[in-house]
Amino acid sequence: MLAQVLVSSATAGAVYALIALGFVLIHKGTGVVHFGYGDQVMFGAYMVLIAQFLLGVSFWPASIAAIAFSGLMGAAIYGALMWPLRNASLLARIIASLALGTVLREFVRAYMGPNAWPFPFLLSQTAVSVAGVLVVPANLAIVAVSLGVLALLFFLFEKTIYGKAIIAACDNQIGASIIGVRVSTVFLAIWILASVLATIAGILVAPLLTLSPDMGLIGIKGFTAAILGGFNSLSGAVVGGITLGILEALAGTYISSALKDMISYSILIIVILVRPQGLLGVLTMRKV
Amino acid sequence: MTDSLLHIENITVRFGGIVALNEVSLDVARGSIQAVIGPNGAGKSTMLNVISGLYSVDGGAVTFDGQRIDRRAPHAIGRMGVARTFQNTELFGEMSAIENVMVGLDRHHPYKFAIAMAHGPSYRRSEIAARREAHELLALVGIADDAPAAASTLPFGKQRRLEIARALATRPKLLLLDEPAAGLRAAEIESLNLMLLNLRSAQGLTILIIDHVMALVMTISDRISVLNFGRKIAEGEPGEVRTAPEVIRAYLGEKGAHALRP
Amino acid sequence: MIPRVAFWVVGIASFIIAPQLLAEYHLFQICLIASTALVVLGLVVVTGIAGQISLAQSAFVGLGGYGSAILATRWGVPLWAGIPLSSFAVAMSGLFLGQLTLRISGHYLALATMAFTAIVQLALIHSDPVTGGAAGMPVPVFRMFGVTLTTGRHLYYVILPSTALLFLLVRNVMKSRFGRAVTAIRQSETAAEAMGLDVLRYKAIAFAASGFLGAVGGGFLGSLSTYLDPAQFGITQSVYFLAVAVVGGLSSPFGAILGSAIFIFIPDLLQSFQTYLGLVFALLLLGFIVLRPKGLTSVRLPRYDFASLRPRGQQ
Repeated sequence: MLAQVLVSSATAGAVYALIALGFVLIHKGTGVVHFGYGDQVMFGAYMVLIAQFLLGVSFWPASIAAIAFSGLMGAAIYGALMWPLRNASLLARIIASLALGTVLREFVRAYMGPNAWPFPFLLSQTAVSVAGVLVVPANLAIVAVSLGVLALLFFLFEKTIYGKAIIAACDNQIGASIIGVRVSTVFLAIWILASVLATIAGILVAPLLTLSPDMGLIGIKGFTAAILGGFNSLSGAVVGGITLGILEALAGTYISSALKDMISYSILIIVILVRPQGLLGVLTMRKV
Repeated sequence: MTDSLLHIENITVRFGGIVALNEVSLDVARGSIQAVIGPNGAGKSTMLNVISGLYSVDGGAVTFDGQRIDRRAPHAIGRMGVARTFQNTELFGEMSAIENVMVGLDRHHPYKFAIAMAHGPSYRRSEIAARREAHELLALVGIADDAPAAASTLPFGKQRRLEIARALATRPKLLLLDEPAAGLRAAEIESLNLMLLNLRSAQGLTILIIDHVMALVMTISDRISVLNFGRKIAEGEPGEVRTAPEVIRAYLGEKGAHALRP
Repeated sequence: MIPRVAFWVVGIASFIIAPQLLAEYHLFQICLIASTALVVLGLVVVTGIAGQISLAQSAFVGLGGYGSAILATRWGVPLWAGIPLSSFAVAMSGLFLGQLTLRISGHYLALATMAFTAIVQLALIHSDPVTGGAAGMPVPVFRMFGVTLTTGRHLYYVILPSTALLFLLVRNVMKSRFGRAVTAIRQSETAAEAMGLDVLRYKAIAFAASGFLGAVGGGFLGSLSTYLDPAQFGITQSVYFLAVAVVGGLSSPFGAILGSAIFIFIPDLLQSFQTYLGLVFALLLLGFIVLRPKGLTSVRLPRYDFASLRPRGQQ
């Protein structure tokens, strides 16, 4: 029934929202559109497994190790890739972020094999009936974490001086440096934060989707969600994610489950064409 | 007016809450050199972008050579005979000077795609003719020797002249110049003046200039219109406009205007 | 004049001599290089020269491969006709995709072309009766004038001349007013538009050309591999073609050939490290885009000069 569809879709929606938040964070913070972000999410989950093998530890310590390492990875991405390309053409930067994602995906495919790996849920998987609707605690965790991350980032950007510094640095690098904002430090912080976020998202999401090298494709859905919400808006990312989740679930139930993904990708193309500023955003123009 | 090549009637342009142009009307007579001046932010560049089709109007109409152009695409307007230069030179940087000019006059030496694929005889003829005409244009603006140089490697003054050559390549009826004298030295402005006067007398070209530099504007314009805050505040011959109180007030402010009173 | 004639003489001589000297394996590789170079040439045209980011190339390759194979299996259209036919159809889809550039560019265009590729791949997987679904379908044998062409040695005589012809046509167009127009559009759309160039039409035609070239390449690749697997036509492959283009030189047709040669030879060099192939390709792309974004050809060859035709009688 409809209510069940909506509740179940909240999980997918929360997943998209979480990934969209990462995209928006990077774009809002550094002006870069990171095409490889979905693959970073996938890589984050794999890092937990790799940590388990290499360090011989159990799930929780491995997760901590993975999260810590992803912070380092974020710093490396900024230092070795994004900073050298800061003045390069748009094309070069798009290709670079694509290449990064592909490197992560191919590394995982070679090192861990192309097949799916099982990944444990954080919370219980057994559905619980709440007011006649089935709810899965593990899924609820994802929704809760998405909202939590949104709240955290929102607080950071809107309420703290650091957040304002970040936006200033992105908007006007020269102006920001004049007033004492170290732009490179700001960007570095954003990349570390976004990479950590990617790993957390990966850990939450991997049990839901099968963990395989191609799981990074979820990035496109995250992109769609971010665009739906107006690409520079954090709350828009969440709204977009939930909207996409609902649209997809409805399409899956009432049109065709096999074509669910095709419908999502078509939604992306339609939104880009018809309303590129998304549901909540504003169009910007360039002065000649 | 039947002899005005360009007829702008009551145009209004808004960007969000800002009114860039407020019911501005302007006429440019055939074969004349007209200038639009005004302090920064007066709406001069906006007007140029409206004429060349980059911006649309929220009210009013623009007529060129008897036809409405305010709803047309920029390339259609370009083909009708309106050519322009840009404030920040938008040259094709990696292409050579002569290639830049050829892009403009290729339209007048056409050949079909199939011929291009086969490099047939009409291809060779057209390419030779186009190259020759491009050389002539480069010579006209004084940079014939720089033909093979990449546009981005040219010094600023030559880049400006290349922009003009490129605009002339499309064989326009109306030439729009967006701050052509900006960054030029006095001697370069002199030769620019001579070139423009020559174009007007030799080819009957109509020219509309937007600029701040009075050494250019006052010397060669037949007529000057003054904008301020999106409105036209004065219009007339250079002598009249120079001494009009509204114009002085707009440029120097109230105190400055007072200071100038005898 | 003389270098041009020498080039042709050497080229044709090599073409005739090679099959006498080389083994089947090497001829097969040469066919692979030529077919890949065609696909990458499409990318060079639309992204390197016209400046439009496109991740749709592997979709065009898949549509070309499947299109010609289906025409052959279902309607008995021989491949030598089916490949050009389906390539024209794919070019139409490229033309349609190019219309998107009216509204979007940059990131959004990259995304839209990615979504296009994803949709095409899913469509190929879900169209079981026609395409064989996720399992794929075999490619019928290439038959021409009653002769069956199955090996690299045989297909060599179809693939190499076709590739050479298409490269020649592209080169000729690049040295014409069309090439100038497209290059101008890449460098300043605003100025190009102001000079009367219908920017949208040129971009759409560039996309159509990339579709045509990708589809022809796809048809040849299909014949060489004798099997079509939908898993080979996804976004990862689009990035692979992009990698070949970047390494060779994104705006250089010769770069397409050079890049293809390198990427086809790499698996031979990495004999026992086959599983790391994808990683090596991705690292190459990453390395080049950061360190040498103009690719290998920018190191040696002079800048491509479009007005370099020396007119007779002109000093």
